Amino acid sequence: MDKNRASRRWKSLAHLGRFVALTLAMAFICLPGAWIVISAMRPTVEIMAKPPVWIPHELSFQAFISMFGVIGQGGVPVFAYFRNSLIISVTSTVIAIGIGMSGGYAFARFRFRGKSAMFLGLMLTRTVPGIALSLPLFIIYARLGILDTHFALILTYVALNVPFTIWLIDGFFRQVPKDLAEAAQIDGCTRWQAFWRVEFPLAGPGIASSGIFAFLTSWNEFALASQITRSVASKTLPVGLLDYTSEFTIDWRGMCALAVIMIAPALTLTFIIQKHLVSGLTSGAVKG
Amino acid sequence: MKGPRISTPLLLLMPAVLVLCAVVVLPLLLSLYSSFTAFRLTRPESIWIWISFRNYENTLTDYVFWVAFGRTVLLLTLALNLEMLFGLGLALLIEKASRGQRVLRTLLMFPMMFSPILVGFQFKFMFNDNVGLINNALQSLGITQTPIPWLIDGGLAFFAILVAEIWSSTSVFAILILAGLLSMPREPLEAAKVDGCTPWQSFRYVTWPFVMPFAYIAMTIRSLDVARAYDIVKIMTDGGPARRTELLWTLIGRTAYGDSKMGLANAMAYISIVLSIVFTVYFYRKLAAARTQIAAEW
Repeated sequence: MDKNRASRRWKSLAHLGRFVALTLAMAFICLPGAWIVISAMRPTVEIMAKPPVWIPHELSFQAFISMFGVIGQGGVPVFAYFRNSLIISVTSTVIAIGIGMSGGYAFARFRFRGKSAMFLGLMLTRTVPGIALSLPLFIIYARLGILDTHFALILTYVALNVPFTIWLIDGFFRQVPKDLAEAAQIDGCTRWQAFWRVEFPLAGPGIASSGIFAFLTSWNEFALASQITRSVASKTLPVGLLDYTSEFTIDWRGMCALAVIMIAPALTLTFIIQKHLVSGLTSGAVKG
Repeated sequence: MKGPRISTPLLLLMPAVLVLCAVVVLPLLLSLYSSFTAFRLTRPESIWIWISFRNYENTLTDYVFWVAFGRTVLLLTLALNLEMLFGLGLALLIEKASRGQRVLRTLLMFPMMFSPILVGFQFKFMFNDNVGLINNALQSLGITQTPIPWLIDGGLAFFAILVAEIWSSTSVFAILILAGLLSMPREPLEAAKVDGCTPWQSFRYVTWPFVMPFAYIAMTIRSLDVARAYDIVKIMTDGGPARRTELLWTLIGRTAYGDSKMGLANAMAYISIVLSIVFTVYFYRKLAAARTQIAAEW
């Protein structure tokens, strides 16, 4: 009887401990982001205040409004950066998905010599650190005269995204049973029709989420963009964020507002794909 | 059809191979070549001056380089191990949680959406000695009276960068390990319990071997972009103060674009590329081994 009670107390204690640990961990995860959002909406005086003001007295969207104003706040043309980011990310994603689909299909459905070496080779191109790759790209693009253009960044991001897109799409095609396409072919479809009418729609959601993943990679990339872009003609948002720090005094509120603008699309898109992303990465982990 | 027939899979892979050759492989060959020259950005004709291994000699005998190299390896080792540990702990906690698993999992995705540059900015803001959240909190609680110079002192700045790294990548581990835990069959665990295993034993000998491949997937994904630390450091301290947080990658950037010594920077870049490749191949092999082991046992 006594032993029972002791064991029950232990259990509830362990339960409480887990709850506390989980709460702390989640606070650690959520707090920094929340703090950025709050700081973007409060007046600069409050950010600078000593002793600190914890609960904002007034919230306003002033920072956002002035950011998209005529020339942008503090001379940082946020609107142009936003447009560049959008054009570059969307275009490179569409192209990377096209290439990734054909490559992923090859890995999922065919056996060929050197398959795993090929796969590893593709992945290894992704391991090259951005800053190391930026050196020769800088030289080449400068020679070709395409430095500081959308085209240069789009081309670079396609190459950056292809390996991972192939990995993900390979996983999604593998989840579609082979028999379905074979059945369609027996019923008179060509291989192409079987792919287009049967396998593609089934793998569709997965492919869409790989697309979103590629979009986010381009949207967030900094190391390459910071060297290949030079001016307002092609600078993206992450590079723009650094504009703020290079100024003499740091405009914390403006930076926080820009950060919110960068994170908003990423936040929305990630929520849409979260389920598919995990299953795409892990499929094949157990099945081989 | 005329000419040699190319097999279908190779044809399908062709676009990927072409793009990667054009944007990654060929440029890397160029940078390999230029790492043997005295190439300076300011004097374009210097790309033809062949100096054989002198750049590598200079790099490998340079004290600054080795300090940055050692710091990079230390940061990666600490970060990867701690991320793995925290990720595993978090995954186990969430798996045990009776309610709100979905909400918790969604919250866990949060840091993954942040670009490294944003992570860096966010922690630059939080660790700022004057307006930062952390110093404000410490002072309000009366723990210290004077502001702590988080990003100004070398050791503290390293710690701040480590915290930023861990914040941004722990959830990758947690999410993938959680996926592993959730897909695990129940029977072996129950059998272990019936056979009288302690919780530790059933974790060590039943759960862990099953979850391991998932942890290695996370490691492989993570090792693919270890260089994201560059973005974080670039915005947080830019390798400063006085090079006390200089990493391999910030050193490369500074040598190439700051001092315009492209040839020398390319030599360093090659060393960093080899480092990344060794990392990735190591984890990829572990992953492959874990996969076959799982396939054999289950």
